[in-house]
Amino acid sequence: MKMRGDLARDLAGIVGERHVRVDDGALAAHARDATPLFEAAPQAVVYPGSTAEVAEILRYATANRVPVVPRGGGSNLCAAAVPLHGGIVMVLTRLNEILEISREELLARVQPGVTTAALAAAAAEQGLLYAPDPGSHTVSTIGGNIATCAGGLRGLKYGVTRNYVLGLEAVLPTGEIIRTGGRLWKDVAGYDLTRLLTGSEGTLAVITEATVALLPKPKESGTGVAYFASLADASRAVTAVIAAGIVPATLEFLDHKCIAAVEEFARLGLRLDAGALLLFGDDGEADAVAANLDRIKAICTDIGALEVTLAENVARADALLAARRCSLPALSRLGPLTVLEDVTVPRHRLAEMVDRIDEIADRYELRIATFGHAGDGNLHPTCVLDPHDHAAIERCHKAFAEIFSAAIALDGTITGEHGVGAAKLPYLEERLGADQVALLGRIKRAFDPAGILNPGKLGS
Amino acid sequence: MTHRPASDARPDAHSGEGRPAPASAGIFDQGLLDRCISCGFCLPVCPTYKLTGQETSSPRGRITLMRALEAGRLADGDPTLAEEASFCLGCRACETVCPAGVRYGELLEQWRDHQWRGRRRPLLARLLMAVVSRPGLLGLQRLVRRYATGRGGPRRGAVPAGAAAGSGTARSGAAPARDGAARPASLMLGCVERGLYPEVSRAVLRLRPGLAVPGGQGCCGALHAHNGDSATGRELALKLGERLDGVIVTTAGGCAAHLAHHLGRERVAELSEYLERTGYRPAGEVRVGGRRARVALQDSCHLRNALGVTRPPRELIAAVADFVELPNAGDCCGAAGTYSLLRPADSRAVLAPKLEAIEAAGVDYVVALNPGCLRQLRQGLRRAGSKVRAIHLAELLAMAEKGSTAR
Repeated sequence: MKMRGDLARDLAGIVGERHVRVDDGALAAHARDATPLFEAAPQAVVYPGSTAEVAEILRYATANRVPVVPRGGGSNLCAAAVPLHGGIVMVLTRLNEILEISREELLARVQPGVTTAALAAAAAEQGLLYAPDPGSHTVSTIGGNIATCAGGLRGLKYGVTRNYVLGLEAVLPTGEIIRTGGRLWKDVAGYDLTRLLTGSEGTLAVITEATVALLPKPKESGTGVAYFASLADASRAVTAVIAAGIVPATLEFLDHKCIAAVEEFARLGLRLDAGALLLFGDDGEADAVAANLDRIKAICTDIGALEVTLAENVARADALLAARRCSLPALSRLGPLTVLEDVTVPRHRLAEMVDRIDEIADRYELRIATFGHAGDGNLHPTCVLDPHDHAAIERCHKAFAEIFSAAIALDGTITGEHGVGAAKLPYLEERLGADQVALLGRIKRAFDPAGILNPGKLGS
Repeated sequence: MTHRPASDARPDAHSGEGRPAPASAGIFDQGLLDRCISCGFCLPVCPTYKLTGQETSSPRGRITLMRALEAGRLADGDPTLAEEASFCLGCRACETVCPAGVRYGELLEQWRDHQWRGRRRPLLARLLMAVVSRPGLLGLQRLVRRYATGRGGPRRGAVPAGAAAGSGTARSGAAPARDGAARPASLMLGCVERGLYPEVSRAVLRLRPGLAVPGGQGCCGALHAHNGDSATGRELALKLGERLDGVIVTTAGGCAAHLAHHLGRERVAELSEYLERTGYRPAGEVRVGGRRARVALQDSCHLRNALGVTRPPRELIAAVADFVELPNAGDCCGAAGTYSLLRPADSRAVLAPKLEAIEAAGVDYVVALNPGCLRQLRQGLRRAGSKVRAIHLAELLAMAEKGSTAR
């Protein structure tokens, strides 16, 4: 391993002194992402300004066997951006240009450090929609979104990040620059490396440019709120809505603990006596939106909703969606350590999964609040803890191990959209089986023979 | 490194190990530090993060630094700690977007208390604090100002009577104003404003002649709290609270937030709030070149971010002129108390996009709600050769009342 002084000098030779940090403070600040309980400091932080610089850094790292961990906005929730084995944290936020937005081709070409919200805003200016919208969109970057195949609030109708990546420019750990896919919706020349890199969590290559698909911006959108006595009722409503042939743009739920936390932050006048809140929304032609919202409202009422209301205007709808986005940080008001997971089950088993989570939480004497994307069966059980209560933290680990097993038993998965990172690596084999995990390892070695890219994560 | 490598992790370890309780240094309130969950929602609104793009100069990064200091993972004399404690503007924009409710402003005060203790405090800050904590020395500021602005001779009625040197003359004995409000109210003169812009207080008294203006007012202590001496900051706030009866009306957003924190929100009203609460009806109109003036607003960071006051000043401006909303009205102007003196280059870099927006808006005036912002905008506009004038809200309203056509 290179010494810190050598690293500083060598990296400065590539990117210039201004764009390398080796001071203790910078190393401490890059020792973590948004995942609690994981910390490991790098030996250097580097901010490359071009694809060529990324390539040179990676060649250097492979030659010298120095780990490199790519990082975007640092909002990762599975410790994928924590430099477990030290080395270099490569921050890609200087590469933040939107290179092209084409209305004719319905696509955008962007550098990896562009934030999700910035791309969405630029697309909207041209009357276009960049559909994936993870909750952290104001801080998360497109590079990070692709590396983790980020989901979001529109998954049911619009899919997730992988459905929008047409092509990538990426740098292999050995320094070669590859371009996968391109400006085409149809292209079967070779293995689908675009899809392989999407969700590879910075373990196979560093993404330096992306071509993503855009959609015409829906003309109208509408949002409503339904309150239910229990999450099970809300879950039945979700199943009924989709069985009725409606695929709404938004179907989000909060349990009663989340409602209270969000209300305390956002002051929207949410109903605090309900067991669950279902936020639903649709977009498209005005008539169709209105008709769908009315039908959803009727279905919720039939199921026995306590109350169903449609947002009277855009501002109210935006406020409701914004409140849903901030569920996690708002929950931290209940206790400053929040361990968040994102198990996912087939949609119709949502209520069963929620029951299992509640049972496990009770048994381990933990406070677990659950919110998530009901339309996708994607749950975010969030354990709220005192960071100094080590016994409770240990119980929390055990409870989540059971929650993962329960999800798998219901034909679900250990992570729907946050990724495996370091936090869920121990459970990956339970989900994939030994043969598949071994295959991941062989793929990893094909890309990264020296094992320098984000070691200790997927494929390691 | 507290993490167990993933390869060793067993299925019973969900996500690493609980961090052992740090041998904390007692610099910070642990409960406040614990609140941050590192989600990063604060990054896009932080002016210094916008300047550097580096984690260390973001609120999240700074809190990670504070935690490392508290836990002893960073040495006390660490240069990055020193630099970032100073580089932060303290604008508290991060608090407005923080869903976890981190009280960053308080953490920054605790950080600077430690970082800038004793002789480590910048010399200029020490001098200013020494001057404003002695009401008797406040008169010196006027002298300084005369030379600084090149005007020389004395200004008639430069400061409302009774305020200059703590001598308690003229108005000081007046009964506190009622002005239609249920409670009495006193005008706070402000240690900086009284020296630099006494015309602001004069304008307030034209709008609300009944306000009491007790003499012997000291500094409210905001300056101290923001410059590493929060104990004195608190002491001065409490002292001022005793000296001034009823609701303390202030023309400085920064002082309003500081006083509200120590005396309680109900004791303090920033001018626009006070005017609204007491049913003030703006009279007249500000005209420029035969038409209604176009006027923009620069929010005061602490008024907006700490006290959430944004609507009243806008409505008051709109009543006497054509109000123009700047796209970045809520972003810090870079004045940030002593910041513009201690870090002039960074201060100007923060101001630059603001000046561009003001020029692009095609306005006649830009209104400030805090003397520091007023000074910052005036200097910046002058340097840029702009024709736009920066004035305080009180001056704009007084100008409208006089039916002044100004230019």
